[in-house]
Amino acid sequence: MMKHLVLALAALIAPAAAHAANDVALTSAVFVEKTVQANGQQRIVLEPPKLVVPGDKLVFMLAYTNKGATPATDFVVTNPLPGAVAYQSSPDQAAIVSIDGGRSWGTLARLKVKESDGTVRGARPEDVTHVRWTFAKAIPAGQGGKLSFRGIVR
Amino acid sequence: MQHFNGVGARIFAFAALAGGGFAMGAPAWAGGTTAGTRIDNRATASYDGPGGTVTVPSNTVSLTVDELLDVTIVSADPGDVQAAPGSTDRVLAFTVTNTGNGDENFVLASAGTLGGDDFDPAVTSIILDNNANGSYDAGIDTVYAAGSNDPQLAPDQSITVFLLSTIPGGAADGNRGRAQLSAEAGTGTGAPGASFAGQGQGGGNAIVGTTGADADASGFYAVTAATVGFVKSAVVADPFGGASAVPGSVITYSLVAAVDGSGTLGNLAVADPIPAGSSYRPGTLTLQGAALSDATDGDAGELASGGIAVRLGNVAGGQVRTVTFQVQVD
Repeated sequence: MMKHLVLALAALIAPAAAHAANDVALTSAVFVEKTVQANGQQRIVLEPPKLVVPGDKLVFMLAYTNKGATPATDFVVTNPLPGAVAYQSSPDQAAIVSIDGGRSWGTLARLKVKESDGTVRGARPEDVTHVRWTFAKAIPAGQGGKLSFRGIVR
Repeated sequence: MQHFNGVGARIFAFAALAGGGFAMGAPAWAGGTTAGTRIDNRATASYDGPGGTVTVPSNTVSLTVDELLDVTIVSADPGDVQAAPGSTDRVLAFTVTNTGNGDENFVLASAGTLGGDDFDPAVTSIILDNNANGSYDAGIDTVYAAGSNDPQLAPDQSITVFLLSTIPGGAADGNRGRAQLSAEAGTGTGAPGASFAGQGQGGGNAIVGTTGADADASGFYAVTAATVGFVKSAVVADPFGGASAVPGSVITYSLVAAVDGSGTLGNLAVADPIPAGSSYRPGTLTLQGAALSDATDGDAGELASGGIAVRLGNVAGGQVRTVTFQVQVD
Protein backbone atom coordinates (compact mmCIF):
# COMPACT_ATOMS: atom_id res chain seq x y z
CA MET A 1 0.00 0.00 0.00
CA MET A 2 2.76 2.35 0.97
CA LYS A 3 4.70 1.45 -2.15
CA HIS A 4 1.75 2.35 -4.33
CA LEU A 5 1.44 5.69 -2.66
CA VAL A 6 5.07 6.49 -3.31
CA LEU A 7 4.63 5.59 -6.94
CA ALA A 8 1.56 7.73 -7.17
CA LEU A 9 3.40 10.62 -5.60
CA ALA A 10 6.26 10.14 -7.98
CA ALA A 11 3.79 10.25 -10.86
CA LEU A 12 2.45 13.49 -9.51
CA ILE A 13 5.84 14.99 -8.94
CA ALA A 14 7.42 13.95 -12.22
CA PRO A 15 5.61 16.42 -14.46
CA ALA A 16 6.19 19.12 -11.92
CA ALA A 17 9.91 18.38 -11.88
CA ALA A 18 10.06 18.51 -15.65
CA HIS A 19 8.22 21.77 -15.53
CA ALA A 20 10.68 23.16 -13.02
CA ALA A 21 13.49 22.36 -15.42
CA ASN A 22 11.70 24.52 -17.99
CA ASP A 23 11.66 27.53 -15.78
CA VAL A 24 13.90 29.71 -17.88
CA ALA A 25 11.77 32.27 -19.66
CA LEU A 26 12.94 33.91 -22.90
CA THR A 27 11.04 36.81 -24.37
CA SER A 28 11.71 38.58 -27.64
CA ALA A 29 10.89 42.18 -28.53
CA VAL A 30 11.69 44.42 -31.47
CA PHE A 31 11.99 48.20 -31.71
CA VAL A 32 12.66 50.67 -34.48
CA GLU A 33 15.48 53.10 -33.90
CA LYS A 34 14.46 56.61 -34.88
CA THR A 35 16.33 59.88 -34.71
CA VAL A 36 14.09 62.63 -33.38
CA GLN A 37 14.64 66.35 -32.96
CA ALA A 38 13.95 67.54 -29.45
CA ASN A 39 14.83 71.01 -28.22
CA GLY A 40 17.14 71.50 -31.15
CA GLN A 41 19.07 68.35 -30.38
CA GLN A 42 19.07 65.03 -32.14
CA ARG A 43 18.08 62.16 -29.99
CA ILE A 44 17.93 58.47 -30.82
CA VAL A 45 14.83 56.76 -29.51
CA LEU A 46 13.49 53.25 -29.72
CA GLU A 47 9.89 53.07 -30.83
CA PRO A 48 7.44 50.22 -31.24
CA PRO A 49 7.48 49.16 -34.91
CA LYS A 50 4.38 50.92 -36.21
CA LEU A 51 5.94 51.81 -39.56
CA VAL A 52 8.78 49.74 -40.94
CA VAL A 53 10.37 50.27 -44.34
CA PRO A 54 13.59 49.04 -45.96
CA GLY A 55 16.58 50.76 -44.42
CA ASP A 56 15.03 51.10 -40.99
CA LYS A 57 17.23 50.15 -38.07
CA LEU A 58 15.75 47.50 -35.83
CA VAL A 59 16.85 46.57 -32.33
CA PHE A 60 15.97 43.05 -31.24
CA MET A 61 15.93 42.49 -27.50
CA LEU A 62 15.90 39.17 -25.73
CA ALA A 63 15.21 38.95 -22.00
CA TYR A 64 15.90 35.77 -20.07
CA THR A 65 15.08 34.87 -16.50
CA ASN A 66 15.84 31.73 -14.59
CA LYS A 67 12.64 31.31 -12.63
CA GLY A 68 13.61 27.86 -11.49
CA ALA A 69 15.16 26.79 -8.23
CA THR A 70 18.42 25.50 -9.71
CA PRO A 71 21.13 27.16 -11.80
CA ALA A 72 20.91 26.82 -15.56
CA THR A 73 24.30 25.77 -16.86
CA ASP A 74 25.66 25.81 -20.41
CA PHE A 75 23.14 28.51 -21.19
CA VAL A 76 23.00 29.29 -24.91
CA VAL A 77 20.64 31.64 -26.74
CA THR A 78 20.36 31.36 -30.51
CA ASN A 79 18.49 33.79 -32.74
CA PRO A 80 18.09 33.04 -36.46
CA LEU A 81 17.98 36.27 -38.45
CA PRO A 82 14.66 36.87 -40.21
CA GLY A 83 15.32 36.80 -43.95
CA ALA A 84 14.44 40.43 -44.49
CA VAL A 85 16.82 41.65 -41.78
CA ALA A 86 20.53 42.32 -42.34
CA TYR A 87 22.53 41.82 -39.14
CA GLN A 88 24.52 44.80 -37.93
CA SER A 89 26.07 44.14 -34.55
CA SER A 90 25.51 43.08 -31.00
CA PRO A 91 26.77 45.09 -28.05
CA ASP A 92 27.41 41.87 -26.18
CA GLN A 93 31.02 40.75 -26.32
CA ALA A 94 30.01 37.12 -26.05
CA ALA A 95 27.97 37.16 -29.25
CA ILE A 96 29.14 34.87 -32.03
CA VAL A 97 27.57 34.50 -35.43
CA SER A 98 27.01 32.00 -38.21
CA ILE A 99 26.91 32.79 -41.90
CA ASP A 100 25.90 29.32 -43.03
CA GLY A 101 22.60 28.64 -41.38
CA GLY A 102 24.00 27.66 -38.00
CA ARG A 103 26.46 24.96 -39.05
CA SER A 104 29.59 26.85 -38.01
CA TRP A 105 30.13 29.71 -35.63
CA GLY A 106 32.67 32.38 -34.80
CA THR A 107 33.23 36.07 -34.47
CA LEU A 108 32.47 37.88 -37.70
CA ALA A 109 36.16 38.77 -38.19
CA ARG A 110 37.08 35.05 -38.31
CA LEU A 111 34.50 34.00 -40.88
CA LYS A 112 35.23 33.94 -44.58
CA VAL A 113 32.94 33.77 -47.59
CA LYS A 114 33.91 32.10 -50.84
CA GLU A 115 32.32 33.90 -53.75
CA SER A 116 31.00 32.02 -56.76
CA ASP A 117 34.05 33.14 -58.76
CA GLY A 118 36.37 31.46 -56.26
CA THR A 119 37.61 34.55 -54.47
CA VAL A 120 37.52 34.57 -50.70
CA ARG A 121 36.53 37.60 -48.68
CA GLY A 122 35.91 38.35 -45.07
CA ALA A 123 32.32 37.88 -43.93
CA ARG A 124 30.22 41.02 -43.74
CA PRO A 125 27.47 41.69 -41.22
CA GLU A 126 24.80 41.17 -43.88
CA ASP A 127 26.08 37.61 -44.44
CA VAL A 128 25.06 36.63 -40.92
CA THR A 129 22.26 34.06 -40.69
CA HIS A 130 22.30 33.39 -36.92
CA VAL A 131 23.53 35.13 -33.81
CA ARG A 132 24.32 33.22 -30.62
CA TRP A 133 25.33 33.94 -27.08
CA THR A 134 27.05 31.25 -25.02
CA PHE A 135 27.39 31.76 -21.28
CA ALA A 136 30.49 30.56 -19.50
CA LYS A 137 28.78 30.92 -16.14
CA ALA A 138 25.54 29.31 -15.08
CA ILE A 139 22.48 31.51 -14.64
CA PRO A 140 21.74 31.34 -10.93
CA ALA A 141 18.20 30.68 -9.82
CA GLY A 142 16.15 33.84 -9.83
CA GLN A 143 18.61 35.72 -12.03
CA GLY A 144 18.25 36.96 -15.58
CA GLY A 145 19.51 39.45 -18.07
CA LYS A 146 19.09 41.02 -21.46
CA LEU A 147 20.68 40.45 -24.84
CA SER A 148 20.29 42.52 -27.94
CA PHE A 149 21.41 42.88 -31.51
CA ARG A 150 20.82 45.38 -34.25
CA GLY A 151 19.71 44.81 -37.80
CA ILE A 152 18.58 46.76 -40.82
CA VAL A 153 15.53 45.99 -42.91
CA ARG A 154 16.91 44.86 -46.27
CA MET B 1 33.53 29.74 -24.80
CA GLN B 2 35.02 26.51 -26.13
CA HIS B 3 32.98 27.22 -29.21
CA PHE B 4 35.70 29.57 -30.32
CA ASN B 5 38.46 27.02 -30.15
CA GLY B 6 39.60 24.56 -32.75
CA VAL B 7 36.85 25.14 -35.25
CA GLY B 8 38.56 27.64 -37.53
CA ALA B 9 39.15 25.19 -40.36
CA ARG B 10 35.61 23.91 -40.16
CA ILE B 11 34.22 27.39 -40.18
CA PHE B 12 36.06 28.07 -43.38
CA ALA B 13 34.89 24.91 -45.08
CA PHE B 14 31.26 25.40 -44.24
CA ALA B 15 31.34 29.07 -45.01
CA ALA B 16 32.79 28.29 -48.41
CA LEU B 17 29.91 25.94 -49.08
CA ALA B 18 27.48 28.63 -48.11
CA GLY B 19 29.22 31.28 -50.17
CA GLY B 20 26.94 33.79 -51.77
CA GLY B 21 23.48 32.36 -51.59
CA PHE B 22 22.83 31.59 -48.00
CA ALA B 23 22.68 35.03 -46.52
CA MET B 24 20.23 36.16 -49.17
CA GLY B 25 17.16 35.81 -47.05
CA ALA B 26 15.20 38.37 -49.01
CA PRO B 27 15.40 39.55 -52.62
CA ALA B 28 18.04 42.25 -52.96
CA TRP B 29 15.86 44.86 -54.64
CA ALA B 30 17.27 48.34 -54.88
CA GLY B 31 14.03 49.43 -53.29
CA GLY B 32 14.52 46.92 -50.50
CA THR B 33 12.43 44.11 -49.14
CA THR B 34 9.09 43.85 -50.90
CA ALA B 35 6.21 45.53 -49.12
CA GLY B 36 4.06 43.10 -47.18
CA THR B 37 6.97 40.81 -46.26
CA ARG B 38 6.67 39.63 -42.67
CA ILE B 39 9.60 39.79 -40.32
CA ASP B 40 9.15 37.13 -37.64
CA ASN B 41 11.77 36.87 -34.94
CA ARG B 42 12.03 34.02 -32.49
CA ALA B 43 15.04 33.06 -30.42
CA THR B 44 15.77 29.81 -28.62
CA ALA B 45 17.54 29.24 -25.34
CA SER B 46 19.05 25.96 -24.27
CA TYR B 47 20.64 25.04 -21.00
CA ASP B 48 21.35 22.12 -18.75
CA GLY B 49 18.89 21.78 -15.92
CA PRO B 50 18.50 19.05 -13.35
CA GLY B 51 16.65 16.87 -15.88
CA GLY B 52 19.04 17.29 -18.78
CA THR B 53 19.28 19.74 -21.66
CA VAL B 54 16.24 21.95 -21.99
CA THR B 55 15.30 24.03 -24.99
CA VAL B 56 13.01 27.03 -24.57
CA PRO B 57 11.65 29.06 -27.47
CA SER B 58 10.87 32.71 -27.01
CA ASN B 59 7.67 34.34 -28.16
CA THR B 60 7.61 35.37 -31.82
CA VAL B 61 7.59 39.07 -32.59
CA SER B 62 6.19 39.91 -36.01
CA LEU B 63 6.13 43.00 -38.08
CA THR B 64 5.20 43.67 -41.69
CA VAL B 65 7.39 45.67 -44.04
CA ASP B 66 5.45 48.71 -45.18
CA GLU B 67 5.39 50.11 -48.71
CA LEU B 68 7.83 52.84 -49.63
CA LEU B 69 6.52 55.13 -52.37
CA ASP B 70 9.39 56.22 -54.58
CA VAL B 71 9.80 56.99 -58.26
CA THR B 72 12.49 58.39 -60.55
CA ILE B 73 12.41 59.72 -64.10
CA VAL B 74 15.38 60.29 -66.35
CA SER B 75 15.60 61.43 -69.93
CA ALA B 76 16.34 58.52 -72.23
CA ASP B 77 17.59 60.71 -75.07
CA PRO B 78 21.34 60.95 -75.58
CA GLY B 79 21.07 64.70 -76.13
CA ASP B 80 18.82 67.34 -77.62
CA VAL B 81 16.30 65.95 -80.07
CA GLN B 82 16.66 67.61 -83.46
CA ALA B 83 13.47 69.12 -84.81
CA ALA B 84 12.47 71.42 -87.63
CA PRO B 85 10.22 74.43 -87.06
CA GLY B 86 6.56 73.51 -87.48
CA SER B 87 7.23 69.76 -87.33
CA THR B 88 4.80 67.52 -85.47
CA ASP B 89 5.08 64.36 -83.34
CA ARG B 90 8.65 65.05 -82.36
CA VAL B 91 9.60 62.41 -79.77
CA LEU B 92 11.25 62.81 -76.38
CA ALA B 93 11.90 59.59 -74.44
CA PHE B 94 11.96 59.13 -70.67
CA THR B 95 12.51 56.21 -68.32
CA VAL B 96 10.16 56.00 -65.33
CA THR B 97 11.33 53.62 -62.57
CA ASN B 98 9.54 52.42 -59.46
CA THR B 99 12.28 52.73 -56.84
CA GLY B 100 9.88 51.83 -54.04
CA ASN B 101 9.30 48.33 -52.70
CA GLY B 102 5.74 47.63 -53.78
CA ASP B 103 3.63 47.37 -56.92
CA GLU B 104 2.41 50.86 -57.65
CA ASN B 105 0.41 52.73 -60.29
CA PHE B 106 1.93 55.96 -61.49
CA VAL B 107 0.01 58.98 -62.75
CA LEU B 108 1.83 60.80 -65.55
CA ALA B 109 1.64 64.41 -66.67
CA SER B 110 3.45 66.57 -69.19
CA ALA B 111 4.36 70.24 -69.51
CA GLY B 112 5.79 72.24 -72.38
CA THR B 113 5.38 75.81 -71.17
CA LEU B 114 8.48 76.09 -69.03
CA GLY B 115 11.35 78.45 -68.43
CA GLY B 116 14.96 77.87 -69.27
CA ASP B 117 14.45 77.58 -73.00
CA ASP B 118 13.84 79.57 -76.17
CA PHE B 119 10.42 78.28 -77.20
CA ASP B 120 7.56 76.21 -75.83
CA PRO B 121 6.98 72.86 -77.51
CA ALA B 122 3.27 71.99 -77.64
CA VAL B 123 3.05 68.50 -76.08
CA THR B 124 0.29 66.67 -77.94
CA SER B 125 0.39 63.28 -76.24
CA ILE B 126 2.06 61.02 -73.71
CA ILE B 127 2.77 57.55 -75.11
CA LEU B 128 3.54 54.33 -73.23
CA ASP B 129 6.17 52.08 -74.82
CA ASN B 130 3.90 49.03 -74.86
CA ASN B 131 6.28 46.77 -76.75
CA ALA B 132 9.16 47.85 -74.50
CA ASN B 133 11.60 48.34 -77.35
CA GLY B 134 12.64 51.82 -76.23
CA SER B 135 11.55 53.55 -79.40
CA TYR B 136 8.26 55.11 -80.41
CA ASP B 137 6.14 52.99 -82.72
CA ALA B 138 3.14 54.92 -84.00
CA GLY B 139 -0.04 52.84 -83.79
CA ILE B 140 1.58 50.16 -81.61
CA ASP B 141 2.53 52.09 -78.50
CA THR B 142 -0.58 53.36 -76.74
CA VAL B 143 -1.61 56.86 -75.87
CA TYR B 144 -1.67 57.49 -72.14
CA ALA B 145 -4.81 58.81 -70.51
CA ALA B 146 -4.55 59.66 -66.82
CA GLY B 147 -6.71 57.42 -64.69
CA SER B 148 -7.43 54.88 -67.39
CA ASN B 149 -4.08 53.26 -68.18
CA ASP B 150 -1.75 54.48 -65.46
CA PRO B 151 1.26 52.19 -65.77
CA GLN B 152 1.66 49.74 -62.90
CA LEU B 153 5.27 49.01 -62.05
CA ALA B 154 6.68 46.33 -59.78
CA PRO B 155 9.59 47.29 -57.51
CA ASP B 156 12.61 48.20 -59.61
CA GLN B 157 10.60 47.96 -62.83
CA SER B 158 10.91 50.66 -65.48
CA ILE B 159 8.81 51.81 -68.40
CA THR B 160 9.77 54.04 -71.31
CA VAL B 161 7.39 56.94 -71.84
CA PHE B 162 7.39 59.23 -74.87
CA LEU B 163 6.25 62.82 -75.21
CA LEU B 164 5.12 63.87 -78.68
CA SER B 165 5.31 67.58 -79.39
CA THR B 166 4.68 70.09 -82.13
CA ILE B 167 7.49 72.59 -82.66
CA PRO B 168 6.31 76.19 -83.18
CA GLY B 169 6.75 77.39 -86.75
CA GLY B 170 8.50 80.51 -85.55
CA ALA B 171 11.30 78.72 -83.73
CA ALA B 172 14.62 79.86 -85.14
CA ASP B 173 17.66 77.80 -85.98
CA GLY B 174 19.59 76.86 -82.83
CA ASN B 175 16.69 77.52 -80.44
CA ARG B 176 15.99 74.99 -77.69
CA GLY B 177 12.62 74.07 -76.22
CA ARG B 178 12.07 72.12 -73.01
CA ALA B 179 9.32 69.63 -72.29
CA GLN B 180 8.81 67.79 -69.04
CA LEU B 181 7.34 64.47 -67.93
CA SER B 182 6.27 63.99 -64.33
CA ALA B 183 5.04 60.94 -62.43
CA GLU B 184 3.29 60.59 -59.10
CA ALA B 185 2.65 57.46 -57.08
CA GLY B 186 -1.04 56.59 -57.34
CA THR B 187 -1.32 55.95 -53.62
CA GLY B 188 -0.22 59.49 -52.89
CA THR B 189 2.67 61.91 -52.63
CA GLY B 190 3.96 64.22 -49.97
CA ALA B 191 6.90 65.00 -47.75
CA PRO B 192 9.21 62.06 -47.13
CA GLY B 193 7.83 60.14 -44.17
CA ALA B 194 4.19 61.03 -44.81
CA SER B 195 2.13 57.88 -44.48
CA PHE B 196 -1.10 56.46 -45.82
CA ALA B 197 -2.49 54.06 -43.24
CA GLY B 198 -3.43 50.64 -44.56
CA GLN B 199 -2.79 51.57 -48.18
CA GLY B 200 0.50 49.73 -48.64
CA GLN B 201 0.90 46.61 -50.69
CA GLY B 202 0.43 43.51 -48.59
CA GLY B 203 -1.84 45.18 -46.08
CA GLY B 204 0.67 47.44 -44.39
CA ASN B 205 0.97 51.17 -44.58
CA ALA B 206 2.34 53.23 -47.44
CA ILE B 207 5.05 55.74 -46.66
CA VAL B 208 6.41 58.47 -48.88
CA GLY B 209 10.11 57.86 -49.53
CA THR B 210 12.97 60.24 -50.13
CA THR B 211 11.77 61.10 -53.64
CA GLY B 212 8.49 62.46 -52.30
CA ALA B 213 6.79 59.76 -54.39
CA ASP B 214 6.90 62.07 -57.38
CA ALA B 215 9.53 62.88 -59.97
CA ASP B 216 9.99 64.85 -63.12
CA ALA B 217 12.59 65.15 -65.83
CA SER B 218 13.05 67.35 -68.86
CA GLY B 219 14.11 66.76 -72.41
CA PHE B 220 15.05 69.35 -74.99
CA TYR B 221 14.19 69.89 -78.61
CA ALA B 222 16.83 71.75 -80.63
CA VAL B 223 15.64 73.46 -83.77
CA THR B 224 17.82 72.68 -86.69
CA ALA B 225 16.53 74.78 -89.53
CA ALA B 226 18.08 74.74 -92.96
CA THR B 227 17.48 76.96 -95.99
CA VAL B 228 18.61 76.53 -99.56
CA GLY B 229 19.77 79.20 -101.92
CA PHE B 230 19.67 78.62 -105.67
CA VAL B 231 21.98 80.47 -107.99
CA LYS B 232 21.76 79.93 -111.73
CA SER B 233 24.47 81.19 -114.03
CA ALA B 234 25.16 80.82 -117.75
CA VAL B 235 28.28 80.86 -119.88
CA VAL B 236 27.79 81.44 -123.62
CA ALA B 237 30.24 80.28 -126.27
CA ASP B 238 29.47 81.25 -129.86
CA PRO B 239 30.77 79.31 -132.86
CA PHE B 240 33.28 82.06 -133.54
CA GLY B 241 35.15 81.92 -130.27
CA GLY B 242 33.15 84.76 -128.74
CA ALA B 243 30.42 84.98 -126.16
CA SER B 244 27.46 86.07 -128.25
CA ALA B 245 24.14 84.30 -128.13
CA VAL B 246 23.64 83.54 -131.75
CA PRO B 247 22.24 80.44 -133.45
CA GLY B 248 24.75 77.69 -132.86
CA SER B 249 26.04 79.17 -129.60
CA VAL B 250 26.41 76.75 -126.70
CA ILE B 251 25.14 77.91 -123.35
CA THR B 252 26.40 76.11 -120.22
CA TYR B 253 24.05 76.54 -117.30
CA SER B 254 25.19 76.03 -113.71
CA LEU B 255 22.63 75.50 -110.97
CA VAL B 256 24.19 75.86 -107.54
CA ALA B 257 22.15 74.84 -104.49
CA ALA B 258 23.77 76.00 -101.25
CA VAL B 259 22.19 74.76 -97.99
CA ASP B 260 22.56 76.99 -94.98
CA GLY B 261 21.77 76.42 -91.28
CA SER B 262 22.34 73.67 -88.72
CA GLY B 263 19.75 71.29 -90.10
CA THR B 264 19.44 69.08 -93.13
CA LEU B 265 17.14 69.48 -96.09
CA GLY B 266 15.61 66.19 -97.06
CA ASN B 267 15.01 65.06 -100.64
CA LEU B 268 16.21 68.25 -102.19
CA ALA B 269 15.59 68.27 -105.94
CA VAL B 270 16.45 70.58 -108.84
CA ALA B 271 14.44 70.98 -112.00
CA ASP B 272 15.01 73.43 -114.84
CA PRO B 273 13.14 73.69 -118.16
CA ILE B 274 15.10 73.92 -121.37
CA PRO B 275 14.69 77.55 -122.49
CA ALA B 276 12.54 78.17 -125.54
CA GLY B 277 14.58 78.64 -128.66
CA SER B 278 17.26 76.27 -127.53
CA SER B 279 17.85 72.54 -127.54
CA TYR B 280 19.40 70.33 -124.88
CA ARG B 281 22.79 68.98 -125.85
CA PRO B 282 22.59 65.23 -125.14
CA GLY B 283 25.01 63.84 -122.59
CA THR B 284 25.88 67.16 -120.96
CA LEU B 285 24.06 66.75 -117.62
CA THR B 286 26.41 66.60 -114.62
CA LEU B 287 26.13 66.57 -110.84
CA GLN B 288 29.20 67.65 -108.87
CA GLY B 289 31.19 67.30 -112.09
CA ALA B 290 30.14 63.69 -112.73
CA ALA B 291 28.08 62.86 -115.80
CA LEU B 292 24.48 61.75 -115.44
CA SER B 293 22.75 59.86 -118.20
CA ASP B 294 19.85 61.52 -120.00
CA ALA B 295 17.62 58.49 -119.55
CA THR B 296 15.33 57.95 -116.57
CA ASP B 297 17.28 55.22 -114.90
CA GLY B 298 19.13 54.42 -111.71
CA ASP B 299 21.16 57.59 -111.45
CA ALA B 300 20.16 60.85 -109.82
CA GLY B 301 19.07 62.79 -112.91
CA GLU B 302 17.49 62.73 -116.36
CA LEU B 303 16.07 64.78 -119.17
CA ALA B 304 12.31 64.64 -118.86
CA SER B 305 9.29 66.71 -119.87
CA GLY B 306 11.30 69.35 -121.61
CA GLY B 307 13.70 70.00 -118.78
CA ILE B 308 16.35 68.50 -116.60
CA ALA B 309 15.57 66.99 -113.20
CA VAL B 310 18.18 66.03 -110.60
CA ARG B 311 17.55 64.59 -107.14
CA LEU B 312 20.10 65.83 -104.64
CA GLY B 313 18.85 63.73 -101.71
CA ASN B 314 19.48 64.89 -98.14
CA VAL B 315 21.79 67.86 -97.99
CA ALA B 316 23.14 69.09 -94.67
CA GLY B 317 23.73 72.73 -93.82
CA GLY B 318 26.98 74.10 -95.20
CA GLN B 319 27.01 71.82 -98.23
CA VAL B 320 26.74 72.82 -101.89
CA ARG B 321 25.46 70.85 -104.86
CA THR B 322 26.24 71.93 -108.42
CA VAL B 323 24.32 70.73 -111.48
CA THR B 324 25.37 71.71 -115.02
CA PHE B 325 23.93 71.13 -118.46
CA GLN B 326 24.33 72.61 -121.91
CA VAL B 327 21.89 73.85 -124.56
CA GLN B 328 22.47 74.99 -128.09
CA VAL B 329 20.72 78.06 -129.43
CA ASP B 330 18.45 77.09 -132.32
